[in-house]
Amino acid sequence: MSIRKNIFCALSAFSLFSLNARGQKVAFTEYDLPNGLHVILHDDHHAPVVAVSVMYHVGSKNEVAGRTGFAHFFEHLLFEGSENIKRGEFMKIVSANGGSNNANTTQDRTFYYEVFPSNYLQTGLWLESERMMHPVINDIGVKTQDEVVKEERRQSFDNRPYGNFINTVARDLFRVHPYHNGVIGEMKDIDAAKLDEFKEFFKQYYVPNNAVLTIAGDIDIAKTKGLIADYFGQIPRGADVVYHKAEEAPITKEIIDTVYDANTQLPLIAEAYRVPGRDTRDAQVMQMIASILSGGGSSRLYKKMVDDKKDALQVLAFNNSLEDYGMYIIGALPNGGASLASLLSDIDEEVIKLQTDLISQEDYEKLQNQFENNFVNANSRQLGIVENLANGYTFHHKDTNEVNEQLTVIRSITREEIRDAARKYLNANQRLLLYYLPGKGKAK
Amino acid sequence: MKKFIMIAAGVLLMQYTQAQTTIDRSKQPAPGPAPVISIKDPATFKLSNGITVLVVEDHRLPKVTATYTIDAGPVTEGDKAGVLNLMGSMLNEGTKTMPKAQFDQSVDKMGATVNLSSSGGFTSALTRYFKSAFGLMGLALKEPAFTQESFDKLKSQELTGLKSQAKNAKVIASRVTNALTYGKHHPDGEFETEETIQKLTLQDVKDAYAKYITPSRGYLTITGDITPADAKALANGVFGSWKGAQLALEKLPEVPLPAKTEIDLVDVPTAVQSEINVVNLVDLKMNNPDYFPALIANYILGGGAQSRLFMNLREKHGFTYGAYSQLTASRFQGTFDANASVRNAKTDSAVTEFLREIDRIRTEKVSDEELANAKALYAGSFARGLEDPARTANFASSILINHLPADFYKTYLQKINAVTTDDVLRVAKKYMNYDNLRVIIVGSSAQVLEGLKKSGYPVNLYDKFAEPVTAAVQK
Repeated sequence: MSIRKNIFCALSAFSLFSLNARGQKVAFTEYDLPNGLHVILHDDHHAPVVAVSVMYHVGSKNEVAGRTGFAHFFEHLLFEGSENIKRGEFMKIVSANGGSNNANTTQDRTFYYEVFPSNYLQTGLWLESERMMHPVINDIGVKTQDEVVKEERRQSFDNRPYGNFINTVARDLFRVHPYHNGVIGEMKDIDAAKLDEFKEFFKQYYVPNNAVLTIAGDIDIAKTKGLIADYFGQIPRGADVVYHKAEEAPITKEIIDTVYDANTQLPLIAEAYRVPGRDTRDAQVMQMIASILSGGGSSRLYKKMVDDKKDALQVLAFNNSLEDYGMYIIGALPNGGASLASLLSDIDEEVIKLQTDLISQEDYEKLQNQFENNFVNANSRQLGIVENLANGYTFHHKDTNEVNEQLTVIRSITREEIRDAARKYLNANQRLLLYYLPGKGKAK
Repeated sequence: MKKFIMIAAGVLLMQYTQAQTTIDRSKQPAPGPAPVISIKDPATFKLSNGITVLVVEDHRLPKVTATYTIDAGPVTEGDKAGVLNLMGSMLNEGTKTMPKAQFDQSVDKMGATVNLSSSGGFTSALTRYFKSAFGLMGLALKEPAFTQESFDKLKSQELTGLKSQAKNAKVIASRVTNALTYGKHHPDGEFETEETIQKLTLQDVKDAYAKYITPSRGYLTITGDITPADAKALANGVFGSWKGAQLALEKLPEVPLPAKTEIDLVDVPTAVQSEINVVNLVDLKMNNPDYFPALIANYILGGGAQSRLFMNLREKHGFTYGAYSQLTASRFQGTFDANASVRNAKTDSAVTEFLREIDRIRTEKVSDEELANAKALYAGSFARGLEDPARTANFASSILINHLPADFYKTYLQKINAVTTDDVLRVAKKYMNYDNLRVIIVGSSAQVLEGLKKSGYPVNLYDKFAEPVTAAVQK
């Protein structure tokens, strides 16, 4: 229903780290159904709540040229009903039974969920299995959701200040990889698509062997397994999903781009770097660098630019970590008419410092505490737990337990590695320099 | 691990064959027995200076959070609009004994959060650091540094921020909707501008601090990995001897409704969507028996993604990404507000549908099915809400602030269940207006004005600061 905002995506990935201290290990059971559906179960009886979720390993990067926006469009389409659920009934059934539900799509996966009072576990399984088994994909659904998605695009991107920022970064950082297109896609592509193409896309990607069913909360594990077999066992396995990562040639010369946004009056200057994907150790190192630069009032960019020099209204540094690559973004909004050139040189100075000097032992300990704190907060709700478990399996080579190992990884990263990663990835000749300016200009 | 998985899969296969025939896909499954919902009261006590303390003990995660809330109610700022906000920001700028850089470093090095605002403070920390983080929150509230340098910085940031939002249709819509609904001299209708911010001085901030940051009408909630006894000792240690001004709620004049329904249009030529707010004021306190039927009526109209507004404007017509309504129950005048972001070309059609749905819920009984579904939703969300350990503390403070009976939340679901379709019709008529409401639209006038004029309602033009635009200026 909602398209996940990319910036938040990066932030949530950032807050996902773990520690093997009291009460924090997420225990789980996992197995495959004969049709290939991977199942992960976690029980917690503290509150009478259950979260039921399915993560399909399909996102905008699986789209073909001329058909962008398909994955996100499908997120909408799969609320239209099934053989046993009439059009418009899906969400009604959820709320009429005291539940809440939603879905979101990224470049890499589509995630559907319901949260119910725990006595409605079976209803959640029924809904998600109907969606996977035999959804109705017809002209009326396509036509309605086409209009809705266009409104979503206007609301979330075209009418929102800085709404097209992340899509611009993606377009410039990726030349051959489908990350180039962003998640929302081009409206004309959906308009041009034939009904059969939608049906084909479903057959290709929304199959049990390309999905993870994760359930957490007030459940009886043995009983739940039986119900899962009942509801999902009959769904036939699909053809194996074939995906070949498009390899990007390294960027060797700075890319400079200027875009305009009529919704803003304040420019944004940003530099963006292509970094390794989320399953790599370096992706974690880059999250740590983001925290050093902009995590909290004592972070380097914030302190220097917002508090001391007072020439920035806001600073940002984050790793938008995706499956195949990441987009590492550092930027600032000027305060009181400061020049973008001065902001840029402030940022660059700090990057060079990271490349030259090791961070202090005190800064290193601060990082450890920040990441530990993030982890403790990451698994405090059942909905967060199902998504984190499914992420581990989907994006870390079927290692669901990754959710419990991340802080161990963070703790093993040395100050030298932090310096070396800055040296390796944050060089001026490897980056996009983006001037995101107010007003109207050439539209790209 | 691997072995365990194999065994699990084996067990599963057996169940799989055995259970195959038992389910009927054509029907929604019957629910299991409803879970028993128990609400445990938080430990509650008062400090000698009047601060009410609520403690919820929950040891599942090694962290503790604390929130201090000062119940000042709506405050009229007048020509100093923006001063409270700025004063709140100034509380984050260090203390008399700790410059900001040192304060921030102390918080960050624990991986903790400490935030202050004009209505109080919030802190969250790992258990082993909570005592220190809580102390810093207290220090920031009790002994802010209030330096001229910080003031100048924040003022310039505030001015830049205002400028950056100048063309944001959502921000404009929110400002104009409040200003037109409450009037510009009411705390909920007034807003800061470049002019009011320019005039503010450090002394204004200090004055606001002396008046509004105080133990009076204060609520301190501590939740997490801590015992009530430890929480009490901490609260006493940090806040026990704190003194401050006595607070009383402002007496607010009753704001009248417009005599007849009108359309108020603000031109934002760059907007690609219109922000539509259909609004009227309501007087509905939480201890009013109408509260529960009103919750249900609003839910059926526009509370969620299966409510009438969403199903009509989004799912049937595709005008918008989402259409919703809110009905605010409050000790003060609240609002009924139905809203959506709609593409320019469908703005007038969307207004027609909003009014059609409001008329329908005021004049026809909702169906038994709609009522039953709404009740189920409230029952479910009540249960789901208990996942949050702070929930019971929020219940307890809401009972105190809103003068509710002690069993308000314990009997909440009973009261929801007692609502009838007649009740819903009655409260819809009472709180959701049709003949005297405002339809406030922020969008591209060139593309929407002609269509709106055809509605038959008077169309008034306003600028981005809710000042009337005369036809001559507008051309």
